[in-house]
Amino acid sequence: MIQIAHGIVGRSDLPIPEWLFGWAAAVVLVVSFVALAVLWPEPKLSRASFRPMPGLSRVLHSRPVDLLCGLLGVFLLAVTVYSGFEGSQTSTANFAPTFVYVIFWLGLVGLSVLFGNVFKAFNPWRACGRAVSWIARTAARAPMPAPLSYPERLGHWPAAAGIFLFAALELAVSDGDAPRTVAIAALVYSVAQFVGMALYGVEEWTERGDGFSVYFALFARISPWSTRDGVVGLRVPLASLADFRPLAGTVPLLAVMIGSVTFDGAAEAPIWTGIAPDISDFFQTLGLSPEKALELTFLIGLVAAIAVVYGFYMLGVRGAQSVGGGFTARDLSRAFVASLVPIAFAYVAAHYFTLLLYDGQLMVGLSNPPFGPVASNPLGEAGTDIFGTVDRSIDYGVIGATSAWYWMVGFVVVGHVAALTLAHDKALTIYSDVKLAVRSQYWMLAVMVGFTSLALWLLSQANQ
Amino acid sequence: MSKAGRWGLIALAVVVAVAAFLIARPGDDDGDSGNQAASTATSPTATAPSAPKPPPDGPTATVIELKDHEPAGGIKDVKVEKGGPVRIVVRSDVADDIHIHGYDIEKSVAPGKPARFQFDATIEGVLEIESHEAEHAGKDALIARLVVEPS
Repeated sequence: MIQIAHGIVGRSDLPIPEWLFGWAAAVVLVVSFVALAVLWPEPKLSRASFRPMPGLSRVLHSRPVDLLCGLLGVFLLAVTVYSGFEGSQTSTANFAPTFVYVIFWLGLVGLSVLFGNVFKAFNPWRACGRAVSWIARTAARAPMPAPLSYPERLGHWPAAAGIFLFAALELAVSDGDAPRTVAIAALVYSVAQFVGMALYGVEEWTERGDGFSVYFALFARISPWSTRDGVVGLRVPLASLADFRPLAGTVPLLAVMIGSVTFDGAAEAPIWTGIAPDISDFFQTLGLSPEKALELTFLIGLVAAIAVVYGFYMLGVRGAQSVGGGFTARDLSRAFVASLVPIAFAYVAAHYFTLLLYDGQLMVGLSNPPFGPVASNPLGEAGTDIFGTVDRSIDYGVIGATSAWYWMVGFVVVGHVAALTLAHDKALTIYSDVKLAVRSQYWMLAVMVGFTSLALWLLSQANQ
Repeated sequence: MSKAGRWGLIALAVVVAVAAFLIARPGDDDGDSGNQAASTATSPTATAPSAPKPPPDGPTATVIELKDHEPAGGIKDVKVEKGGPVRIVVRSDVADDIHIHGYDIEKSVAPGKPARFQFDATIEGVLEIESHEAEHAGKDALIARLVVEPS
């Protein structure tokens, strides 16, 4: 069996037991048929009212808060790069890998779903971009328009590419969790963002081209928090997703989001651990080193998983197109793409929430400057323990395997219901005829049941 | 369909789901599902009936033989129930350091001097057991996995 560093502390979840798998699958089917029975005839989500909260909004958007959040973001990016290069090169003893792969990549997903688009405030690249443009504006005493307008064709493609590269680094590169690699990746990503902002403007690029911004903003649309005309307010959860306007590349982006988690799940399952050595051996016979052969094998697995997810969704779209209504496959694929967002969330939550709960605890000890336990840090002499937490180890008692199973299945089932709700609501908006809308939803229902069953199956196959 | 009819359907679905859950759920020590008598003897998640469980307090230890940092016979799972004793002996033809993740226990092994691990399984999940020398050599470090299932 081959294993590429998975997680950071070398612990993974037990597969969900067969009876729970069967029960959850049954619930998904029952829920789906109930959904068909209670289908509401008028779109509701996109008409959901917005309750502005001007007081809260003034505080959140005030200059000191804005400045402080931006500075904190830049500080954390700087610490990541600094400790990646200068700290211990043992992944678990360095701030960078745990911060990037656990706190940032997973923790922010949870925060976005609960509290809305928090990353926008802390985004270090946006903060730098705004600072630079403020200085340039002040120096030139004139507004500074971006040299180029963001091309429509580009859409979410740069974001999809960014998330794909990040997933490849995490799942296919053999030393992707090495502190130095993480630091280099952070620098490369930063440079790409600055180039994008310089060409197309800070906000224009951040909203469309910056993979992480787009990724967290999509999950934030699940939350009840949204912003309208610059004012923060509350809406029914999912309502912001019903209003989401997809761009070119949004569907591939969602395929990357779901496909990469699918691959990470499948990589622990017999289906992958059985064939990966054969593929890897084949590349070795072509003259690749064992390490490179393994990386290429995992990269192929990742691309294949994304392609399967994309293909399956497009199949459902073709089906929905066949019921009539005069839409192109492209129109329909974009119309229903927002309903994949709760599914993507369910995948991430079910697959990674124990990792966040356990590995996230490492952060407590790693936060002591110079951001790693003294004992294993080459900067040991300079090491501090200002928080008194340097020797804190992971408490595995925070959640047991059985409760973890219920949470995983809960995430998947709730994600399924949210996806069905969004798809049905969207169908009512775009089809003039309620009958066509309902018929298109048989296909979407099949797609959702497919994705949900896949998620459950992956949970039942993990580490077998 | 009338509104009452729809809510009726939903209620029915919930009842069916709860009933299915109670029937499908294997009995646990609370015994609230009434069928624990039939299933106390077997673990619901046991997927390898061929692997006999060591007696709870018996001296049986799982032996892992390493040849040049690689496990003879491939990577095996050491399965235990939570709370039970874990006994693993690692023999190696070359000097090595063996690390059990999660529990974070590390012991040295040398030819003729096996590493003996003995502790109680307190952490559930799949924990990697690795050879540090293989890791330093850039090879696959995994030598076995400790699988701790809920009791």
